Amino acid sequence: MGKKVKLREQKVGLAHLRGEQQNLDRRNEHSDQRRDSLAARLRAGDRTAAAELVDLYYERIYLFMRRLGHSRQVSEDLTQESFLNAWGHIGQLRDGKALNSWLYRIAGNVSKLYWRRHKGREAASIEGIEVADGSSKTEGDKAGHNEQLEQLKNAVTRLPIKLRQAVVLHYMQQLTITEAAEAAGIRKGTFKSRLNRALKALRKHVM
Amino acid sequence: MRKEKLKELLNELAERTTEPVGPGLSEDIKHQIPTRLLRHRGGWDTVNIIIDLRMSKSVAAAVIIITMILLANFLGIRDSANGGIFQDSMLLIKYVSGWAGADINDVSAGRSKYELLLGRGEEVAWYGDDIDPQDSNAVLMQWKLSDGKYEVMLVDGRERQVSSEELIKLLTRMLQKKSK
Repeated sequence: MGKKVKLREQKVGLAHLRGEQQNLDRRNEHSDQRRDSLAARLRAGDRTAAAELVDLYYERIYLFMRRLGHSRQVSEDLTQESFLNAWGHIGQLRDGKALNSWLYRIAGNVSKLYWRRHKGREAASIEGIEVADGSSKTEGDKAGHNEQLEQLKNAVTRLPIKLRQAVVLHYMQQLTITEAAEAAGIRKGTFKSRLNRALKALRKHVM
Repeated sequence: MRKEKLKELLNELAERTTEPVGPGLSEDIKHQIPTRLLRHRGGWDTVNIIIDLRMSKSVAAAVIIITMILLANFLGIRDSANGGIFQDSMLLIKYVSGWAGADINDVSAGRSKYELLLGRGEEVAWYGDDIDPQDSNAVLMQWKLSDGKYEVMLVDGRERQVSSEELIKLLTRMLQKKSK
């Protein structure tokens, strides 16, 4: 009897998981379609599509700039500059799949140009790490964990620009390796090796 | 520390280090959407590639000219004066020979920045229409900072903070040079 109930519970759990997976697939498909349509409308010169692109990406590009080490004000300026450049390079946008890499590549170049023009300026990191509530960790564990995150944040800020960009693109902006490599303007293999070098450097600084 | 643990920490760091974007940023960006979005900016892409690759002008010019000739030969359109090739070649010649075209990019990039600052409500003075682009110390624009100093952008893209006296000196020198 008990076994039957357990089996039924497992089946229900499995069906639930399948349902969630199907929902996720549907959402991904919908998101792909939306990106394709957005890219096509952009290429056709549709201004409402440009406004949609801004809504979709301005926060991400701002955070990208912040995570690359720019101050708040500079990040806002560079975000604006990235979109200004994007309007002039719509011809380089291939399709919806390339949307991420296209825009991040433009933003990366804007950031690079800024560092080149302001040599010697120190990288600024995003302030404060919020403590997650509802965690089962003890106060001591939480403090240790937060310290680790703080060390990691500082270590990322100290990385050379190319390595920092690789880490930020892949781990923090959640781009796939292919997208991130395209955004950095290098081959996949080169990007992976850059990422490995960055992780190696970070491991030395985080206890 | 294990690599996997480090990756987990980096993902967590991304979640924890978010911050709200200043209000009105998206609207500011939307105001700058041009009335006509351009699909392609003609020959400027070629020049931008040179800048991106950070090659010397002459090496880049040689590479591009040879590529164009080879391509034209390969396609059998050597004398057809294809619009794109012709346009790119003209731009390249201007760029390499150091005509005013070599600095058009800096001036137009400065112009975008000027419009950006104007849009933000800064009081910016623009001199880009009357300057000599060959003079690397020519002031492209200037605007006042909150501490009473002035931020100056030069034609080659350099930015400096100067006092009012220094600004006057820079502008006077520019005017004197122009009147000669």
